[in-house]
Amino acid sequence: MGDVELEQSVAQTEEPQQHTPSTASSVSISSSPSHSLPSSPSSGPYHHHQPTSSTPSPTHSDGPAIPSPSLGVISEGVTELTLVIDPEVAKKACQEVLQKVKLLKGEGEGSGFEGGCGPDPTLANGTVHNKPTDPVSVGGGGIIKPQKIHEEEDPESLTPGSVKSARRRQRHNPSKQSWLLRLFESKLFDVSMAISYLHNSKEPGVQAYIGNRLFSFRHEEVDFYLPQLLNMYIHMDEDVGDAIKPYVVHRCRQSISFSLQCAWLLGAYSSDMHISTQRHSRGTKLRKLIFSDELKPAGLRARRPPALTPFCPLPNATPALHGHGVGGEHGLSPTKRTHQRSKSDATVSISLSSNLKRTASNPKVESSQDEDLSSSSESLECENHDCKTGTPVRLTPQRDFIKSLMGIGKRLATLPTKEQKTQRLISELSLLNHKLPARVWLPTSAFDHHVVRVPHTQAVVLNSKDKAPYLIYVEVLECEDFETSSVPVRISETRIRSTRSVENLPDCGITADQRAVSFSTVPNYDDDNEAWSVDDIGELQLPEIHTNSCDNISQFSVDSITSLDSKEPIFIAAGDIRRRLSEQLAHTPTTFRRDPEDPSAMALKEPWQEKVQRIREGSPYGHIPTWRLLSVIVKCGDDLRQELLASQVLQQLQVIWEQERVPIWIKPYKILVISSDSGMIEPIVNAVSIHQVKKQSQMPLLDYFLQEHGTHTTEAFLTAQRNFVQSCAGYCLICYLLQVKDRHNGNILLDADGHIIHIDFGFILSSSPRNLGFETSAFKLTSEFVDVMGGLDGDMFNYYKMLMLQGLIAARKHMDKVIQIVEIMQQGSQLPCFHGSSTIRSLKERFHMSLTEEQLQVLVEQMVDGSMRSITTKLYDGFQYLTNGIM
Amino acid sequence: MSQVEKKAGLLRRTSSSKKPLKEKVVLMYDEIFKEDPAKNNPRFWDELFLMKVNLEYLETKLECLDGDELMKTKDNVNSLFHHCVQTLAEEHQIKVVNALQTLCALFRGVHQKNKSASGFDIINMLMGFDKAEHRMKDLMESLDSLLCGEGSESLKALCLKLLLCLVTVTDNISQNTILEYVMINSIFEAVLQILSDVSSRGRHGYDAVVLLALLVNYRKYEASLSASLSLSLSLSLSLSLSLSLSFSLSLSLSLSLQYKDKEEENQGGFFSTLTSMVGSMFIADAEEKLSVQTNEAILLALYEAVHLNRNFITVLAQSHPEIDIPTTPTTPVPTTPTTPLGTTPPSTDVMNSSELPLDPNLQTSNLLITFLKYSSIVMQDTKDEHRLNSARLCLIILTCIAEDQYADAFLHDDNMNFRVNLHRMPMRHRKKAAEKNVPSRPLVCAVLDLMVEFVVTHMMKDFPMDLYMRCVQVIHKLICYQKKCRIRLHYTWRELWSALINLLKFLLSNETVLLAKHNIFHLALLVVNLFNMFITYGDTFLPTSNSYDELYYEIVRMHQVFDNLYCMVLRVSTNAGQWKEPASKVTHSLVNVRAIINHFNPKIESYAAVNHISQLSEDQVLEVVRSNYDTLTLKLQDGLDQYERYSEQPKEAAFFKDLVRSISLNVRKNVSLNTLSQDILLKEFSTIS
Repeated sequence: MGDVELEQSVAQTEEPQQHTPSTASSVSISSSPSHSLPSSPSSGPYHHHQPTSSTPSPTHSDGPAIPSPSLGVISEGVTELTLVIDPEVAKKACQEVLQKVKLLKGEGEGSGFEGGCGPDPTLANGTVHNKPTDPVSVGGGGIIKPQKIHEEEDPESLTPGSVKSARRRQRHNPSKQSWLLRLFESKLFDVSMAISYLHNSKEPGVQAYIGNRLFSFRHEEVDFYLPQLLNMYIHMDEDVGDAIKPYVVHRCRQSISFSLQCAWLLGAYSSDMHISTQRHSRGTKLRKLIFSDELKPAGLRARRPPALTPFCPLPNATPALHGHGVGGEHGLSPTKRTHQRSKSDATVSISLSSNLKRTASNPKVESSQDEDLSSSSESLECENHDCKTGTPVRLTPQRDFIKSLMGIGKRLATLPTKEQKTQRLISELSLLNHKLPARVWLPTSAFDHHVVRVPHTQAVVLNSKDKAPYLIYVEVLECEDFETSSVPVRISETRIRSTRSVENLPDCGITADQRAVSFSTVPNYDDDNEAWSVDDIGELQLPEIHTNSCDNISQFSVDSITSLDSKEPIFIAAGDIRRRLSEQLAHTPTTFRRDPEDPSAMALKEPWQEKVQRIREGSPYGHIPTWRLLSVIVKCGDDLRQELLASQVLQQLQVIWEQERVPIWIKPYKILVISSDSGMIEPIVNAVSIHQVKKQSQMPLLDYFLQEHGTHTTEAFLTAQRNFVQSCAGYCLICYLLQVKDRHNGNILLDADGHIIHIDFGFILSSSPRNLGFETSAFKLTSEFVDVMGGLDGDMFNYYKMLMLQGLIAARKHMDKVIQIVEIMQQGSQLPCFHGSSTIRSLKERFHMSLTEEQLQVLVEQMVDGSMRSITTKLYDGFQYLTNGIM
Repeated sequence: MSQVEKKAGLLRRTSSSKKPLKEKVVLMYDEIFKEDPAKNNPRFWDELFLMKVNLEYLETKLECLDGDELMKTKDNVNSLFHHCVQTLAEEHQIKVVNALQTLCALFRGVHQKNKSASGFDIINMLMGFDKAEHRMKDLMESLDSLLCGEGSESLKALCLKLLLCLVTVTDNISQNTILEYVMINSIFEAVLQILSDVSSRGRHGYDAVVLLALLVNYRKYEASLSASLSLSLSLSLSLSLSLSLSFSLSLSLSLSLQYKDKEEENQGGFFSTLTSMVGSMFIADAEEKLSVQTNEAILLALYEAVHLNRNFITVLAQSHPEIDIPTTPTTPVPTTPTTPLGTTPPSTDVMNSSELPLDPNLQTSNLLITFLKYSSIVMQDTKDEHRLNSARLCLIILTCIAEDQYADAFLHDDNMNFRVNLHRMPMRHRKKAAEKNVPSRPLVCAVLDLMVEFVVTHMMKDFPMDLYMRCVQVIHKLICYQKKCRIRLHYTWRELWSALINLLKFLLSNETVLLAKHNIFHLALLVVNLFNMFITYGDTFLPTSNSYDELYYEIVRMHQVFDNLYCMVLRVSTNAGQWKEPASKVTHSLVNVRAIINHFNPKIESYAAVNHISQLSEDQVLEVVRSNYDTLTLKLQDGLDQYERYSEQPKEAAFFKDLVRSISLNVRKNVSLNTLSQDILLKEFSTIS
């Protein structure tokens, strides 16, 4: 039996490629989920719509015709669906499965199960009824269970639409309506629940159903659980994998960035497997499939190359490409067409490339050197080249971009000093610049864009002993869709300035290689006054004087004496000059000093807006309205999977607290796992580490707050203080719940508004730094923090404790959602945070489901107290004391 | 007529003595100068271009024609030219090669003949007035397509040689009337394309850059000339990365050349610093001399780029970590983790590897750094005319850079730190490699270092006044920028101060000698005003309050120099004479320095007396300085931070005219069509055709 299924799954992976063209050509791709789905987050109405349309379907579908469908048939149906990968069909499939389930229930009891294959083919009421409660009961909370059930029932009695549909369903299948089905069809059935059932259910039918239901969720919602989905795909049994795969493949076809993210995650989460199994594992296979670029949308495939070539934007071609409605070429065999089309594209690019000197030359360079040696980024530009050779081009630019960033990190790690690293980084990046703009983007960003330039001089190497993480700023142009919008035309660095000898000549900006390219994307910036930089030192001087607030005699007198024309000598005291000098030197504390050993301090201290402004002014692309500045930390040699996990938990908690209206402030930051030892992190802007604050300012934290925000009574200070408290409460809870360790001041940031932000979740859950054993306190709360909050007796400190309590109660209410994230990731993982067997149990215990709110309050008090005291005293274990039930 | 026969006879005799027969091609040439050659043989032209060109003969032949004959054969020469141009468009590559070479010979020969005559005759002679425009258009178009086409590299090289030949036929480039047509039928795009392509840049970069540099100087002062305008424009726009790369390449090449020379010198046993200094002045062998001279052309191109093109400043600043790739593709520089960047002094790495003559800093180098290093070498020796010119050009380029606010911003960018190993002249009184580990600093520090180095090393009898003026002006401009933008550069200003004071000292002690040739008061005024900048505006740009104290310390310590200077200028200004005016200016400018000296000297003396110390330590003096600021009043002087902006005209025009002329001559001498021997071409094309 198992063998049969295995074969099926193998066949399944291969089948799509063969069948896709035919099916895809017959089925319009235009109705992708993104179009057909309502934009409101709750996909309620849609689902109500679904049954209505489906109700007639069983009458003419095969469903009833087959007397008693075995489960094998069901899974067969699913495999077929994978070929189609169309939401319409997927929808139908969902319904079919549902119908079958219903049918089974209807006639199931009597008839025998032909295949007898499924562990429990009948979805008997009893089984089904137990299922939903299953995860809850594992949670061990008596509190949540009733609540949840209550919620499940809620919509049917509240929303009219659902009532209608429920009635219809009941009419259709009046008596044998299962709870599970009702749950699945209720509008409360969200991604989180889907993931949970996918993980916990042992029922292939249910898994298949959920796999299909994934299509109906909004992309962003599912994307949040992508690590979970993929981890299940890799490490759980066949059925789950089969259920997930169609969805993943479908999304991969739709989106380059999704493809890459999947591939990266698959690689990262497969890495813990044994090398021999890894090679043949499903995850690796899917990853290869994605990287082989087989998963491009069939209809788009033919047209893709011209749009990808960065130097021929073909603005007239883009509308056709735009959207997904390119299903027009049914009759033709897509594969053949592809071939011819790409060929002709190649000739186009060849004919163009006679003018495109840059592109024409670069492949030569690239081929002449080792990929690792200089940088693989060369091939970023070789898209034209790739078109000619016919190698996959869809994912290549972005992969090369990431690869070259990682390559830089690797090479930096070999250099001994920060100074050398920084220098090297800058020059490597300037090299990278020559390849930009290209169809590449920062995966950590929230909007679609193309990277146009890396202001290389702004990049900094971050503090790390042996690795070389670095922070880069990236100039991007926002666009509609990075896959279809044309890549911006390269503007040379030199474009911002006018020529000295000849002014105002038309047509001056078009160099030979630009002439070939239409300027549709770039407005005629020759008219743009802001594109010209200030050029005279004289002009520069003026604002300097006016903005200079301190009374400066020497400055003043220079201006006056030149204008006054009087020959009356002006005298100044040497002492004044000396005094001004020392005063001005003392009066510039808001910027940090340049420290060769800590180059990032100065760069991070600069307010983000100022930095954006400054970089924009210096950029040849700065005048374009869609210009944006992004930043990213590139980490090479670090495993970011734990970071990703922590980030997910943080995001979940943030949602929970928002939902429960607890004014706790936390800042989850985006993590991109590229492999098990590399990735990218979205930096937090306007924030420096407390370590840097203290080192640079040489004063206690409270004094720094006073200096930055004003005295105790000012509104700015009070706002900053409140921000501090709200963020502190959030992170204290997180540190406690996730057992975040290694909390030194370098890992805690302070932003310009006074929030603290914890970074570096390298030690969470079961793992803690070696040698230290364990940090005894529940979280880090130093006396300096308390001072900022206004001392132990202050209102703000009480507010802090109250926030912690509220936050804990809220988190406890939604504990499942948090636990689920962690639990799924434990599957097959060797991460240190899952070390030992009790990780999940301990995590659950920390939510203290059994305590009353009063008891929780005491717990919070104890924890705060303990953390306070652990500064001076040794081990304080009131918390243990408490959990043992003694008040 | 007789002359021609004589010459021809001479040729015949010599050739007949060795070879019984005259070359076929020579016979054909002769035919051209007699009557219409196609009259008898309709395939004459086809055949001609299949023959191997005899450049010398053709050139001499043209040279020897006198006026009448010339007029007679004019039509035939025109026709030869016409057919050359036509042949360029043919597919047969050997014909193309021959046509190109024939054209070269034509241009050269006719010019040689008509050295004194006006250019219009030349045009008439070659092409005929009526057809000239048309012919030249065809020629340029053919060259354009050859240069841009996929053809052989040697062919492209030959095209560039032809262009160079065309550009340099006259001594004064502006008298070359044919260039008018070159300007109209812009060939620059083709040349720029050559430059922008990595592989062709390596091969033809030098010729292309020289060509552009020369063309820019064609009637550059006649602003009305639209062609020149468009050239400077196109040059300025497209001298982007590509050009800078070929600059880098050529500069670094010459750099390595010189390194090697030095190295050989050292290994040759001249270990005494004195002898090696002398040695470097005399050893200049032919090759090195050549390299210096040819680099004049490169420097000129760099100057034109910097001067004409503000955009080029950004190019200067771009890092080019990859410039070593085309030259040394085999050396995996970045992957060797054991060699830390820039820690090895340049002298050793020359010794270590002949393959990689440049220091490992190269990866993070940029054109500006290369230029600074190159300048540091060039400035070491200003004895001969060419080297002096090169040094002057370097300083002019630096002046342009220092004036440019954008460049200044880059120079002062705190984020852009570089290690620049400048070359210091070995001198008796200082240790050679005292500072091996130059910390990486903003580039302006390197510029200042270079200036300080120049100031210190050129105080000689044959005083390069002009260079000194430029040097001090560069410093002044940089300080003005810092003052205006309130940039507190962490630079050891003390070195600059003592260098400047030493310069004053030198001027004083050689007053009589120098005054005979130069206006030393102008330089002295500039120097004193630099001090005035520090004294009155130090609060705006000095890095620490201690540095202000140190300034006073330095002035007080060297008070004798200032005292003497004051005495001298006072003396000169009281005497009537040509120096009265400039000397009195210096007198006025010294007021603050003298105030400081007069204020602090007694204080220090009394401090020493009170504390019974004969020799005060630096700290003690600084202490006295610090505690006595408040009783000192300074006079504010105007115009300290104002300077005259650099302009090429009219001051520098003569210099550049001469420079272009010398480069022209040099290029003409070295454009060797024969070196690009036909054998190679034949070999290459025989396989093709």
